[in-house]
Amino acid sequence: MTVDVFREFRIRDYHERLRKKELSVGELLEAFLGRIQNVDTQIRAFLSLNEEARAQARELQENVPEGVFPPLWGIPIAIKDNICTENLPTTCGSRILENFVAPYDATVIEKLKKAGAIILGKTNMDEFAMGSSTENSAFGPTRNPFDLRRVPGGSSGGSAAALAALEAPLALGSDTGGSVRQPASFCGVVGLRPTYGRVSRYGLVSFASSLDQIGPMARNVEDCITLFEVISGSDDRDSTCAPYPPFSRQDIPPEREIRKMKVGVPREYFASGVDEAIVKKVQEILDLLEREGLECVEVSLPHTDCALEAYYIVAPAEASSNLARYDGVLYGLRGEGSTLQEMYFQTRTRGFGKEVKRRIILGTYSLSSGYYDDYYLKGMKVRTLVRRDFEEALEMCHFLITPVSPCFPFFLGERTASPYQMYLADVFTIPSAMAGIPGISMNCGYVDGLPVGLQILSGPFKEGWLFGLALFLEKALSLVSPFPRLPERS
Amino acid sequence: MGKKISLEEMKKVAQLSKLQFTEEELLRFFQDVNEIVAHFEKLDQLNLKEVSPTSHISWSQPPMHSDDPAEWRGEEKVFRQAPTVVERYFIVPKVVEKEER
Amino acid sequence: MAEFYVTIGLEVHCQLLTKSKMFCRCGTDYIGKAPNTLVCPVCMGLPGSLPVLNTRALELAIKTALALRCEILSQVVFHRKNYFYPDLPKGYQISQYNFPIGINGEVKFFSQGVQKSVRIKRVHVEEDAGKLVHEGPGLPPNSSGVDFNRCGIPLVEIVTEPDLHSPEEARDYLVMLRSMVRYIGASDGNMEEGSLRCDANISVSPSLQELGTKVEVKNMNSFRSVFRALCYEIERQRTILEKGGTVIQETRHWDEREGVTVAARGKEEAEDYRYFPDPDLLPISIEKEQLQEIEKTLPELPLERKERFMMEYELTEGEAGVLTQEKDTADFFEACLKEFHKPRLICNWMLTEVLKNLNELNIAISESKVTPEALVELIRMVDKKEISGTIAKGILEEMFATGGRVREIIARKGISFITSERELEKIAREAIEKNPQSVADYLSGKEKALHFLIGQVMKMTRGQADPEMVKNLLLKELSSGE
Repeated sequence: MTVDVFREFRIRDYHERLRKKELSVGELLEAFLGRIQNVDTQIRAFLSLNEEARAQARELQENVPEGVFPPLWGIPIAIKDNICTENLPTTCGSRILENFVAPYDATVIEKLKKAGAIILGKTNMDEFAMGSSTENSAFGPTRNPFDLRRVPGGSSGGSAAALAALEAPLALGSDTGGSVRQPASFCGVVGLRPTYGRVSRYGLVSFASSLDQIGPMARNVEDCITLFEVISGSDDRDSTCAPYPPFSRQDIPPEREIRKMKVGVPREYFASGVDEAIVKKVQEILDLLEREGLECVEVSLPHTDCALEAYYIVAPAEASSNLARYDGVLYGLRGEGSTLQEMYFQTRTRGFGKEVKRRIILGTYSLSSGYYDDYYLKGMKVRTLVRRDFEEALEMCHFLITPVSPCFPFFLGERTASPYQMYLADVFTIPSAMAGIPGISMNCGYVDGLPVGLQILSGPFKEGWLFGLALFLEKALSLVSPFPRLPERS
Repeated sequence: MGKKISLEEMKKVAQLSKLQFTEEELLRFFQDVNEIVAHFEKLDQLNLKEVSPTSHISWSQPPMHSDDPAEWRGEEKVFRQAPTVVERYFIVPKVVEKEER
Repeated sequence: MAEFYVTIGLEVHCQLLTKSKMFCRCGTDYIGKAPNTLVCPVCMGLPGSLPVLNTRALELAIKTALALRCEILSQVVFHRKNYFYPDLPKGYQISQYNFPIGINGEVKFFSQGVQKSVRIKRVHVEEDAGKLVHEGPGLPPNSSGVDFNRCGIPLVEIVTEPDLHSPEEARDYLVMLRSMVRYIGASDGNMEEGSLRCDANISVSPSLQELGTKVEVKNMNSFRSVFRALCYEIERQRTILEKGGTVIQETRHWDEREGVTVAARGKEEAEDYRYFPDPDLLPISIEKEQLQEIEKTLPELPLERKERFMMEYELTEGEAGVLTQEKDTADFFEACLKEFHKPRLICNWMLTEVLKNLNELNIAISESKVTPEALVELIRMVDKKEISGTIAKGILEEMFATGGRVREIIARKGISFITSERELEKIAREAIEKNPQSVADYLSGKEKALHFLIGQVMKMTRGQADPEMVKNLLLKELSSGE
């Protein structure tokens, strides 16, 4: 029994076939393992594969549940390599953790296992989640399945590419300034950045603690919802995790309610600097929504252009502290050194890549004595202004709709010369992350074969609304053959 | 703010972060970081006097744990991949400064 | 020699008596345990681990700040103190910076008979670091070993203003502080075991108006060390100043063996700790009701209890001081008084026999097999003259050893009571009748003869009479006529 990964790509479809015993868990798994074998040498989405996957599939198959299946039963999932998985490496795309195997599972991994999911493997990423193209990985870049010369976005580029290349039906990524939404957009898949605190960070290797969130990624909105239901919810091992129960699809308003809602269009996101073809595509969506009865109003988020700078003060500062633990003492790479100081310097100099070092320098500087007020404190104050912008705008509408990225997926090597140019790729995803509000990225069309991502933002804990509008749009757009055919290895 | 970081300051920061650079690398970093810092000047145009800083995104009182101990017992897995472990101690080059705590 | 003024400030760290660590559920009884057994991803700083605060640690820290009369801040904020050291697995310590638990407190204590007061600048809470060993069997040459058992244990840091002016004051403040943290159950306050640590800042100046250069002194492991180290420092700084030199602002370590302070080796320029609010720990609001609840649990503190003992029980300062130094001792004393309200008597017994036995057995009063009820039972019998004081002391020693009660020991040892003075009178008369020569000798002025008679009565009662009572009875008989 085989699976045509091009035609059947919903959990719902797989569960139906599994229930009818038309398909076994092992066969479902093989479809993806086979696909990985065929295309991953070109894509390089995966850094490691789960050797136990087949055995786990067999075990699941031997214990088919009576009645309702646990939500992800038998479903393979790809995990970004900064989420701790026991018995599988967690490298964070870095040499300094190249051989690190976490001695514990992240909370989200425990939840996935309980829901019956099978981990396929760990996906490639920008080192320590710092980047927007996955070119900062110490193990080589991942390529965009839509055009192998282009980047898949970052930092969750491996997860997004795996989905687009049909190597996995589900994936987990992490979003600090856009690292789930932007690669989702570049690869034509769905990615959610939850409200800050909605998903436990226990087991997510920290980059910027006040911004990091684990996000569900999938090839369609419904599967993203299912995955989000499984991973969200309170955790007493994470002080920043909100004490609320997991998300439930009961919170998604029906279509008729969605039609009555108001959409805000922030003018700052359509100013110059955004590729015209992208603006046009997003405008088409807004026109569609108006035709369907939703009201679209122009709003303003006046501090949008300061958010990027504030982010590049706050995030590297937190990162510089979060990355101090990589010192060669307990785990990871240890540099040669006959003295303690030599060991520290060798470990960190050899172990970290350029972008990580840049951000550590920037972050350490922002926090250092004499500069704290001018940099870190200022960054935190601007964050307050950015938050207020969203609070005020969202009083006038239910959603904000924007492009995810000001540009199409660029070519590998195109932006590596200038860090700041690379940072600009996240200009539309950073502000909402600073405010802690949720945002979803979904495909809204193609231009010259390259996907365009649409970003929908809403207020804290309004993921239900986001999913509601996303489902609505997905249906209305009914995009055909969304995934590229890749030359398979013979 | 937005003022360039001097080479001296960069060297100091590199020391604090335990990062070593060759002269050439340092110069490259110096240029890259200052390019970014130059953009921070934008923030000087804002009036931040009455604005309180956001240090955390918090929706309620955080979870806390009650004072009853629980064992983890996973340290063998950590020993297995530690750079050097002898008699259950993690070994590092001799710490010269006797910072008795 | 010119006048010199000494200014001392003390920074004390106390390990809090919690069963689990500050930010994780690992146990805290690390003494004597094999290295790296009380550890987990959180206290080892593994990638992806996160801190979650122990409510009891917060409670004890607030309790300490309240006992020290601090103003408690309405929000608890944690800051990261960033620096590299092998015993600090995260590369930063979770501590507090500009929002400590309490500020502007005060501690009153006695030093050389005079009441002193020292202002408490701040009380804050932070996590302990791991332990480093520099030598040991199996340790490779030129290396150190790291043990994280202690890492993450909650500490409370108590910082004074520079209000102490002599090594004696410093030591006496420490004694009071230790007493206080033990009273409230916040800490063991044991310097030898490391649950209380002290660093000092000391400066010496020829003028009252201007403070001298501040020198930090570390590595003092007992109250005596603190005293000796400060004495040494004062001498050292005075000598420099008298010769016209300048004291260097630096950190010095106390060398217990050599009895000197030594400049700390090669510290590069002052560390920049880059404090910033820890984004992994949300600020916690302290409600008024919560504070009131904690305040209710504060016991009567040592100084107040001592003053009350002096007034209520008419004890001297010295006596009250000893009885109230440990809460358990004071509690024991008052439990005895509940049974038998004779403060003077009970005090005497406690300060002499009880403490003597505790010292000999090397146990704390809480470990004593003798309960207040049992002690009172014994004391009552002595008071009623049913047994002699000497006998009673022996019985008490046995009670401490076996935990038995008075009457049972008396029965077992066959000690009989001298229950009436009348009986003793009879025996005294008998002794007089049987020893006419001694009587004659006494009456003709030989004092020794009386002692012989006393000895005879004691022999006849097999040593179970009260010698004082015997002497008085004999004198009465002898003087009342022949």
